Amino acid sequence: MGVIIGPRVIKAGLSVRLVLISPVAVAAGFPSPAQDYFDGRIDLNEHLIKDITSTYIVRVSGDSMEQAGISDGDELIVNRALEPRDGSVVVAVLDGELTIKRLKISAAGVVLQAANPLYPDINVPALADLTIWGVATRCLHHV
Amino acid sequence: MSNARQQIALVDVNCFYASAERAFDPSLEGKPLVVLSNNDGCAVTRSPEAKALGISTGDPWFKLAPRAKEWGLVARSSNYELYGDISARVMELLGRYSAWLEVYSIDEAFLGIKGTPEQMVGLGRTIKAAVQRNVGVPVCVGIAATKTLAKLANRWAKNNPALGGVCRWESMEPEVRDLLMARLPVSEVWGVAGRLEKRLNALGICTILELSRADPVMVRDRFSVVLMRTVLELRGTPCIPLEEERMGRDQLIFSRSFSTPLTSASEFRQVLSVYAQQASARLARHRLQAKVLTAFAGTSHYNPKDKSSPSVCVPLPMPTSDPVLLTKAAHALLPAIQDGVNYARAGIMVTDLRPSGNQQPLEPFANPHEERGIGPLVEQISRKYGRGTIGLGFAGLKTGLDWSMKRGMRSPRYTTHWDELPVVRAA
Repeated sequence: MGVIIGPRVIKAGLSVRLVLISPVAVAAGFPSPAQDYFDGRIDLNEHLIKDITSTYIVRVSGDSMEQAGISDGDELIVNRALEPRDGSVVVAVLDGELTIKRLKISAAGVVLQAANPLYPDINVPALADLTIWGVATRCLHHV
Repeated sequence: MSNARQQIALVDVNCFYASAERAFDPSLEGKPLVVLSNNDGCAVTRSPEAKALGISTGDPWFKLAPRAKEWGLVARSSNYELYGDISARVMELLGRYSAWLEVYSIDEAFLGIKGTPEQMVGLGRTIKAAVQRNVGVPVCVGIAATKTLAKLANRWAKNNPALGGVCRWESMEPEVRDLLMARLPVSEVWGVAGRLEKRLNALGICTILELSRADPVMVRDRFSVVLMRTVLELRGTPCIPLEEERMGRDQLIFSRSFSTPLTSASEFRQVLSVYAQQASARLARHRLQAKVLTAFAGTSHYNPKDKSSPSVCVPLPMPTSDPVLLTKAAHALLPAIQDGVNYARAGIMVTDLRPSGNQQPLEPFANPHEERGIGPLVEQISRKYGRGTIGLGFAGLKTGLDWSMKRGMRSPRYTTHWDELPVVRAA
């Protein structure tokens, strides 16, 4: 390790900060009547990240999820703690890579689908045979 | 619940740095992996596959590199940003399972837990599953009546896959426990270091079992109260309490090996300035002030000729986190630097730390720099525009920092840098 020797307190916290929306400007010289109502800015972390221990942000590379509204270069908020369900957009481990697909679970089996007809479905015998890295909860789409 | 009691769980991430790397790069799964120390010097963490190749902690990378291809060995430079964030996530999560949490190091924590033996083992399994699911790294849990035994139980959980990563010491048969302690040399017990081992061996105490059976009074008289506590803890009597807050954290160290050796006092002036300012920023962030600064340098272990390791200890005029004062103090090392000698490392250490604002200095002793908030300003600018964009004097140059740490094989800082996020393939 070398940087710090011995026991120490490590402050918990997530260093990823999202966008901050600026509040009403406060006029100089005269107390603003709005300031009594100011209770903090909108914090996107609070609204978009349910659990800071299990939430990661990843970046999409490729166009196979285009028709699900997820484009090349978009960022996704992924929660590892969520149970993947039928219809979830998941990050799955395929051939040693993190891959984004739609999960389909039915009596017939488990299928990973792209949202683009050019990409074939991937059939999986059972959910247990699949490593799901996390479940995407939001797409930060670039408009 | 008449048999409910409090015990201690030690939760420890398996091969922490290697596991943190694998959490974001599944292609590393199953491959031998080593994480290298500062400056890509030597292996500090090995995956089980790398251990199986016979690689030891501390093996220098220049000796491993020629065989890496043949072995399929992958190396990564230390990615402290990633490890720090993963550690914070693990600790945050552990805090949800117990009101008593002592973060012991970057990858291990003691938790106070209660319940029947079955409940405690069940909680251990729950914790293990939660850390794997939420954060993505594997942990082992050792549970016992004392910290020292919890460490041993954790070690046994790691070495015995049949336990599923969770081991409660007292749930094992006494004969099994004795056998385990008889197999481990005394140096493997928590708190017994090298020199102590030799002295114990001279008394015929070679294994942990023999230490646990030593007379505590004899151990206190011949060694120390600290070692007596270890003996009692091995017998199941808690002597080392959980420390939830280690506020008077004793010291901060900023030290690095250099990619190319430094050979002159003028180069040292710059290096020491940077460390002093890093120390200032860290102190300010934790609202601490230091009373003593030590600056040191050293030649390489691999270069036995012209050995030199100068060091100076500077008492500060008042407890401070001021970058100007700390930089000046660090520069006290400069006269001790011999021109022409190849220095491989340098560092500063600030000690005797105390919370800032405890005592107000009298007016004549008030520090003019702190008044003007230079430290926070430098820190603010560094945060906004990156380390190395501004600094005091010789630390202020972005060019010329060619001595700074070499991390040529570092993975992306996946969770702390927006331009280095993990990439998921949509293909």
